[in-house]
Amino acid sequence: MIKNLIKKELILYFRNLNNVFLPLIFFFLIISIFPLVLGPDKLLFDNIIPGVIWITAILTTLLSSNNFFRDDYNNGVIEMYLTSSTGVELILFLRIIACWLFTCLPIILFMPLVSLLFDISFEDSFVILITLLMGTPILISIGIFGSALTLGLARNNILTPIIVIPFYIPVLIFSASAIDSVSLGLPYDMQLFILMALLFLILPIMPYLLKYTLELSINN
Amino acid sequence: MNISKIANLKFFYTKTRKISSFLSAFTLILFCIGIYWGLFIAPTDYLQGNSYRIMYVHVPAAWLSMQTYMIMAATGFIALVWKIKIMEIASIQCAPIGAFFTIIALVTGMVWGKPTWGTYWVWDARLTSELILLFLYIGIMVLYSAYSDKRQAIKITSLLAIIGLINIPIIHYSVEWWNTLHQGPTVTKFEKPSAHITMLLPLLYMFFVFNMYFLSILIKRMRFGIYMREKNNKWMEELKND
Repeated sequence: MIKNLIKKELILYFRNLNNVFLPLIFFFLIISIFPLVLGPDKLLFDNIIPGVIWITAILTTLLSSNNFFRDDYNNGVIEMYLTSSTGVELILFLRIIACWLFTCLPIILFMPLVSLLFDISFEDSFVILITLLMGTPILISIGIFGSALTLGLARNNILTPIIVIPFYIPVLIFSASAIDSVSLGLPYDMQLFILMALLFLILPIMPYLLKYTLELSINN
Repeated sequence: MNISKIANLKFFYTKTRKISSFLSAFTLILFCIGIYWGLFIAPTDYLQGNSYRIMYVHVPAAWLSMQTYMIMAATGFIALVWKIKIMEIASIQCAPIGAFFTIIALVTGMVWGKPTWGTYWVWDARLTSELILLFLYIGIMVLYSAYSDKRQAIKITSLLAIIGLINIPIIHYSVEWWNTLHQGPTVTKFEKPSAHITMLLPLLYMFFVFNMYFLSILIKRMRFGIYMREKNNKWMEELKND
């Protein structure tokens, strides 16, 4: 069953490759807006580029998880999920992973190019990449939780981010702290371990939480 | 449907009418005493002069802003698990009160910050976490108002409040860790003046007064919430005609 589920998710994403490329294009578009707004000051960008990358990653995850359940809700698939006897949690878990694979992983894979464009040192870009690798699954799953909370509403384009962003803050603080530490030459493993702890705490809980939230959102 | 639940709301609504107005008047008197105590009787601080006196409003408001969130989450939990109507109303009515306390804490902090720090706002641990708390309250209120089915809305916001409760210590401590990298000037400054008993007593008294204020406002708001939910029901019509 797991095999079929994975296959179905992959087919869904590969049939519409826009889903894969649009977040990536969006990411690069936002990144390239920053030099336009702030001016091409090399010194300034050396300081702020990790923050810029993180903010852009947040925007991308917010937009890609915003209407995560919308189509399934309109189709009635969510009701099928909830009434089915097989494990809904597993389906939800796989869907979170698939969403991350096709929206965040491309961005992370293109991080070396971003480091090249902004001339980030190897160690800095390595830490940025690691924090993104551990942080974006958390961000995606929290964003999906937000989209489940607002599922009963007709239009929620800006409401979901308002609810979700305060929950992003712990991840952001530890990522920013790790990147700060590495640029100052301090040890940064503590922050990375905390990020990892958050990741392995949130990922297993999230499917159960999502199922409960969907039940609340659907029961009218 | 269930007669005991409706009776419960009706019982609360009719019984608290007098208590509510009595509590408000009582709180006002207590508040005036506390303000007089804090502003005139408590000794002047040798370091900050008279400007420290704003802490008699600022610190209780900040405490209450956290406490209200915990009460909102706790009542929300009770409402979700045992489906008690009055707890649903209590939970959602906590949100505007908590936001109000948060705004008071932020504004009085800004007023205090100008003479003491020389600036209204610093992006420091406490201030940022308090601002995030305000956004949590606002998110809950916005989500509540977005749903047209209010019973469903309360379930959703209760869940959000409970999840946010896990978020609060994380925000609090992680922001402190984040700040230890730079500097942490705020917190210790309070400890020196508040250590002395003549200054501490009015502060604790004001905390008590703010709790009374919270209680009286919560009862008023819950009455309002019950009215809004039950205004088309028979017993409310009868009460209105009386």
